[in-house]
Amino acid sequence: MEIVVLIKPVPESETRLRASPDGRRLDSEGVRFVLAGYDESAVEQALLLKENVPGSKVHAISFGPARCGEALRAAIALGADAATWIEAPPEGSDDPILAARALASALSSIPYDLLLGGKHAGDDEEGIVVGAVAELLGIPSFGSVTDVRPAGPSGLAFQRPTEAGIESWETSLPCAIGLQQAWNDPRTAKLPNILRSRKAPIAKVDWPTVAKALGSESSPRSLSEEFRLPAPRSGAKMIEFQTPEEAAEKLVRLLREEAKVFP
Amino acid sequence: MPEFSLTAEQESLRDLARKFARTEMAPKAAECDKSARFPEEIYRKAWELGLMNLNVPTEYGGSGLGALDQCLIVEELAYACGGMTTSIIANCLALEPILLGGSPAQKSRWLTPFCSEYHLASFCLTEPGGGSDAAGLKTRARKDSEEYVLSGEKCFITNGPHASLFTVFATLDPSLRSKGVAAFIVPGDAPGIVRGKDEDKMGHRASSTSTIRLEEVRVSRDQRLGGEHDGFSIAMRTLDQTRTPIGALATGIAQAALDLAARYSLERKTFGKPISEHQAIQIKLANMVQAVRAARLLTWHAAWTIDRGQPGTLESSIAKCYASDAALRVADEAIQIFGGYGYMRDYPVEKLMRDAKLTQIYEGSNEIQRIVTARELLRQYG
Ligand SMILES: Cc1cc2nc3c(=O)[nH]c(=O)nc-3n(C[C@H](O)[C@H](O)[C@H](O)COP(=O)(O)OP(=O)(O)OC[C@H]3O[C@@H](n4cnc5c(N)ncnc54)[C@H](O)[C@@H]3O)c2cc1C
Repeated sequence: MEIVVLIKPVPESETRLRASPDGRRLDSEGVRFVLAGYDESAVEQALLLKENVPGSKVHAISFGPARCGEALRAAIALGADAATWIEAPPEGSDDPILAARALASALSSIPYDLLLGGKHAGDDEEGIVVGAVAELLGIPSFGSVTDVRPAGPSGLAFQRPTEAGIESWETSLPCAIGLQQAWNDPRTAKLPNILRSRKAPIAKVDWPTVAKALGSESSPRSLSEEFRLPAPRSGAKMIEFQTPEEAAEKLVRLLREEAKVFP
Repeated sequence: MPEFSLTAEQESLRDLARKFARTEMAPKAAECDKSARFPEEIYRKAWELGLMNLNVPTEYGGSGLGALDQCLIVEELAYACGGMTTSIIANCLALEPILLGGSPAQKSRWLTPFCSEYHLASFCLTEPGGGSDAAGLKTRARKDSEEYVLSGEKCFITNGPHASLFTVFATLDPSLRSKGVAAFIVPGDAPGIVRGKDEDKMGHRASSTSTIRLEEVRVSRDQRLGGEHDGFSIAMRTLDQTRTPIGALATGIAQAALDLAARYSLERKTFGKPISEHQAIQIKLANMVQAVRAARLLTWHAAWTIDRGQPGTLESSIAKCYASDAALRVADEAIQIFGGYGYMRDYPVEKLMRDAKLTQIYEGSNEIQRIVTARELLRQYG
């Protein structure tokens, strides 16, 4: 099975975020971008399938600025066989439709049976790209999927947890899947594989090549205008009390008079 | 200009160590400390991830890292648990004599099978009669045609109860002092090896330490590292390599103490305000961060010196000594900032002080480090 994993580097979770000097986006200066969240699960799922379907290959692909290289190397360290960076234009790497077009265009020359991505990216949580790539390629796509397993000679079975219960699905290939969870927790890359990944080749498709292939579709549909951090939350209020009755009384008074939860 | 930023490769090594430390080690640190449990499952996993034989070249199955890379990893591990870190890096200490004194044939014979599976090794230098005066060691090596017979006792041996390989220092002629010492590779199952009980320690309780008695242990000539007079030099050059990671270990403990104390100071209120607003606490925190940063930079500098192929005796002595003193001081102040809670075993800070204390003692006590530092310093003037 040829498995393509679509990954997007996102800021490391411990990063302190700030706006860029022009106020339009996240300031990437000094921020470490990593493979994280659902994308990490997607890589894990791809590797599990590779281990269970002999002859499979995993190819990690990322659309965006140069920092994609770090996330791709992380995927290689985990066990991906190949990696491709598709360069984004200086403006518009955040546009999900442009990302989908660029990825779909690259996939015209990359073999795939299964496209795997996170159910949404760990930063903007839009969840558009996997479905949009599938649409552009004319293949079925499924979101919020867990537990993808090989089924029959050339199909896949998977589950989708919903409010009402767990759905079980089967699909033929090719298809695209936005993953919520693999059947294992994401593995940790071993030290020698990390060192090896530093020297692994990463194929690059530069932006002029992508732009040429996309022709009139190469301009972003959306551009970020403003980036603001949420206002800091006001602090918690501790209630001091001697008896539970006193605590309840004080809490009700605060809810009524300060939080105005009750009239 | 010095360059203080890390390469992307170094960042990813540090990420690996941090993830392992925080997800595997930290959750079990308090439990292992309390019950003095040797968490073999964690050590096995450290080996699986390549975090164990850091200094062994990849051609023999190790991770092949330089000094600075090792320090980055060790600091992260020690942030989660000093004791586990001591046991994880004991292999580096025990195998370094083979790296320094072994022939290519000895390296492939002993290191390759050792590194290809989970194994622990121990470095056996210290003896009950004294550790600091290593040239005065009493364990005897007696020549018997093509073999040597080793007898004596080693003490405070990290991973002693579990090791499957020992590097042992023994004297062929005590009257020759340092010139009489030879180094040997001894497999853990050699007849005549008697392991003592696991010592009950103040700190590093997730590590295990024991005596190793050698009762007429026979080793062949090709288990001798270097020449018959090279053992002492191999031991000293080994410690030149491994002292710097002890600086990193101490820095990790100190950083953990600082983080806990700074966070606590923002939460704990006295006299109507967080204690972080009392200047006395601010001054403590300022002194603590100065000590942590200085410890890290001295450690990085020593590692950088060694990575440039220099012995780094002076630099590593300064780094180990400063960082370990800093760790004890910072942990002490962290307890002070926690007040009475800091003294309670249910809070994590008192463990840091107990763990920090060892870093002043082992791999050459700080008194010995100061002797070495002064000797190296004065050499530059004399
Ligand atoms: C938990 C633990 C793990 C250890 N692991 C190992 C191991 O794996 N392998 C190993 O070989 N050893 C190990 N050691 C031993 C350690 O390296 C020694 O304890 C250390 O070198 C000090 O030796 P000593 O205990 O014999 O003290 P001594 O040498 O007896 O020293 C006693 C005191 O006198 C001071 N002193 C000694 N000589 C002088 C001097 N000339 N001038 C001024 N002061 C001096 C010392 O600094 C110390 O304060 C370990 C120790 C501990 C506690």
